[in-house]
Amino acid sequence: MTTLETLKKYSFYSLLGLGTLLVGCNPDEEVPEPVEELEVITDVVLTFTNADDDTDVVTAAAQDPDGEGVEDLVILDEVNLDANKTYILTYEILNALESPAENILDEIQEEAAEHQLFYAFTEGAFTDPTGDGNIDNAADPINYNDQDDNGLNLGLNTTWTTSETAVSGATFRVKLQHQPDVKTATSDSNTGDNDFDLSFTLNIN
Amino acid sequence: MVDSCKYEIKGLILDEDTREPLPYVLVNIEGTQISTLTDLKGEFKLINLCHEINTITISCLGYCDTSCKDFYHESSDKPEIFLKREVSALDAVTVVAEKQTDEGTYSLSRERIGKEDLSLDLTRSMAEALSSINGISLTSNGSNVQLPVIHGLYGNRILVLNNGMKHGFQNWGSDHAPEIDLSSVSNLMVLKGAAGVQYGPEALGGVVVAEPNELQLSSDFSSNVGTGFQTNGKGYFVSTDLGKGFKKWAYHLGANYTRIGDRHSPDYSLSNSGKQEYSINAGVRYNFEKLDLKFYYSYLNQDLGILRTSIASSAEVFVQSLTADEPVVIFPFSYDIKAPNQEVEHHLAKAELNWYYRDDAKVSLIVGSQLNKRNEYDVRRNIENPIIDLDLITNDVQLKWMHSQKGAWQGVIGIQAFTQNNDNNPFTYTTPFIPNYNTYRFSSFALESWRKNQGELEFGVRADYERSSVRGRETNQDPFLDKYSLGGLTFSLGYMYRFSAYSSLRTNVGSAWRPPNMAELFSFGQNGFKSSYGLLRHYVNDEGKLRSDKVIPIAESNVQSEKGVKWISEWEIKKKKNAFVATAYTQFIENFIFERPYGLTGTVRGPMPFYIYDQANALFVGLDLSWMKQWTASVSGVISASYLWSRNLKKQEVLINQPPLNVEYKLSWTLPLWGKMKSSVFSVRPSYTFRQYQAPVVYSPNDIVNNTIEITPDSEIFDFRDAPDGYFLMDVSWRLRYEKLAFSFAVNNVFNHSYRSYLNEMRYFADEPGINLLFNMNYIFNSK
Repeated sequence: MTTLETLKKYSFYSLLGLGTLLVGCNPDEEVPEPVEELEVITDVVLTFTNADDDTDVVTAAAQDPDGEGVEDLVILDEVNLDANKTYILTYEILNALESPAENILDEIQEEAAEHQLFYAFTEGAFTDPTGDGNIDNAADPINYNDQDDNGLNLGLNTTWTTSETAVSGATFRVKLQHQPDVKTATSDSNTGDNDFDLSFTLNIN
Repeated sequence: MVDSCKYEIKGLILDEDTREPLPYVLVNIEGTQISTLTDLKGEFKLINLCHEINTITISCLGYCDTSCKDFYHESSDKPEIFLKREVSALDAVTVVAEKQTDEGTYSLSRERIGKEDLSLDLTRSMAEALSSINGISLTSNGSNVQLPVIHGLYGNRILVLNNGMKHGFQNWGSDHAPEIDLSSVSNLMVLKGAAGVQYGPEALGGVVVAEPNELQLSSDFSSNVGTGFQTNGKGYFVSTDLGKGFKKWAYHLGANYTRIGDRHSPDYSLSNSGKQEYSINAGVRYNFEKLDLKFYYSYLNQDLGILRTSIASSAEVFVQSLTADEPVVIFPFSYDIKAPNQEVEHHLAKAELNWYYRDDAKVSLIVGSQLNKRNEYDVRRNIENPIIDLDLITNDVQLKWMHSQKGAWQGVIGIQAFTQNNDNNPFTYTTPFIPNYNTYRFSSFALESWRKNQGELEFGVRADYERSSVRGRETNQDPFLDKYSLGGLTFSLGYMYRFSAYSSLRTNVGSAWRPPNMAELFSFGQNGFKSSYGLLRHYVNDEGKLRSDKVIPIAESNVQSEKGVKWISEWEIKKKKNAFVATAYTQFIENFIFERPYGLTGTVRGPMPFYIYDQANALFVGLDLSWMKQWTASVSGVISASYLWSRNLKKQEVLINQPPLNVEYKLSWTLPLWGKMKSSVFSVRPSYTFRQYQAPVVYSPNDIVNNTIEITPDSEIFDFRDAPDGYFLMDVSWRLRYEKLAFSFAVNNVFNHSYRSYLNEMRYFADEPGINLLFNMNYIFNSK
């Protein structure tokens, strides 16, 4: 038998076998595996605690009830602070679509070297920090109390001293940036990708 | 007579000058005793031929000379052979025998692109190659993901037949293109009407048929090595194919590799728009007298970059992207493909058995399987895993009987079983965008034609029954299940009339239906720059607000299958120096499913654009015109134009993403030859695409965010950005053949004009590519 004839014969049988194999595939009826959503944030709660009296707590929450769904984000509260007081700002960050709700704050703390919070506010609302925050200019003052392993600011714990006079209808904006491999001493609020960007109404009474 | 002698040649012999039929011409198959005389209409038919390629000699007193080479051959038709008057002589003409045709639906407008035109640039997508046909445009998601649009319809309303089977792929949106490599295609054909009877549901808008190598028996060894380079994106390809036909069997092998880096528009680099693709294909044919068996296998691996700037890191950046003149993200040129990108593998295996139990009749069985593996990567925080990871298995069994001619009747009857099984792979860390599903479809059809004199009447009917089982997850990870059955009848009625040898009319009315596909029903969440919500994933609550917090069972929804009727007529006058084709069509589609911007959904990252699937009653009316004029012996020109008018009849409003009016002129010069040159043709192709004036109203994202515009479920269709301006483009090409080498040199977008195409989803973010110089070379080798 010539090589070509051998080739012809074996290619024929192997193809016939392959065809039978392919057509014989049995379909399954499985539900996709449940997944652990990594990127969903539904609830962000800002907690302002009076530095001199930890029972004096002001909270303001923002909620996106259906996560990836079409429902709008709701800013549930205005930030109502007292004049001439010093507050420590901390966070609660959750994915409430999972039950029990998943604590995203822990994840951010674990990845402190990849995250930074930036702030913007109406000028004059605070006596310390002064100015209008560091979203427009990263070098502007913000009182960061927490740093990552590289000594760079994180911003999940910050200190704020309100103005001596009342302010109403001001804005308070918080912006969390995810900056894997790009967080440096000079990286700013546009570096990396945005994890949340929330604007609250700020009143100082 | 040997049983395998099953080929036949039909033809029509005409006077080259007068176009009158020539009777009593002797037609003989060279080297055989088989011969016949043409009848009074100039027609002849030679049957029981043992070879697929034949040399015929035509002897006729008062005609022919040694330059008698003119004939042309439309496979749907009889070849017309033109004879020159005056000199009486004998000459040989090679005619490829017509396959016993099983294409059906002659009354539909159809066009073809052959291997030679396809190999001009193998880096193109199939859709780009098809868009050279009048009435066909392309919708795209950047430079790599491109889908053909036939008369305003695309995606799952265009059935793509890959090697005789429905191409089994993730066919949804305008961001998933059929994974077919041009190098594996020897012939591309487009049917512009509703051809659902023969090919099944989803052929509402038309059919694209990609045919593989024919695997001819008794053919010489041939091989072809091609390579090419293009300046835009520094792209290159290498491709090869080879094959040989023996007396009882034949084989064919082909392979291709393509790589393109970031393309550039006239003003900036289109970052992450590169692609990498490799493919192999193989075929074997065995002939056992009356039985003929063919096997095909093809594999394609693609990595397609999606424009990086289309993924906004925040709502602010999205709004900025929509208004900026330049993309927000621009990197220097690179071949690297990063997220967002699509990695796809497609395997196709097919066996085809033909039983020629009589000379003019056959039974054919096609059994095929396809495996489509798709991974889509998005720019994600924290992880590099794909956001979409799907395996789709498609199985197809078709049994067809082409019965012998009974009087004036001829036809084909068939049954088909078609199954698809889609599975999500774990570790995407996001709720599946498309659920797991199994679909089983059973179909039967009959298509008959009745021919008398110059007229031919054809009609067809098809019944389909489809059962689906769907399993998905809601965002809280609760499973949801749905099972449903859908069915439909499809009919077609056509008539073709030949007024004379050079003038004919085709008209066809075809109905078609299409079950909503899985993405249209179930898609949920972010894919690319936008979030999409399927028909069963959104509803309007008691307060008149849109919600997406539950999955609606299809039985409780008002979702309906699409039903359409298309009437298409084509009038053709084809003289040697003057050819005119007009194609007019009207199509009505009830429950037309389409995706449209709905607004911005608030997220913790700010408002992001979102789209919903919606249903409408749509009407499409259009006209394609083309006129070819041979100006001198060496110069000819073709002008073509295509126009479409469409409306949503439910609300008397325009539809979104419909092709605009387009006019082009292609002028070709046949240049004088020198040395061993066999052909040399230079052509210029200016074209103008108008702005789409039938575009929906524009609401800017800023107006939506500031509540200047309030969107309700009753709001009209709108868009985020104006339709781009019209644009003039100029392409030139020079093709020449020197002995066994074929060269082509082409320049696309000669004036390096900046423009955006309305049908490219990336028009929101960036310009189309600028000037591109393409060099291609092919070495064609034949031996006994």
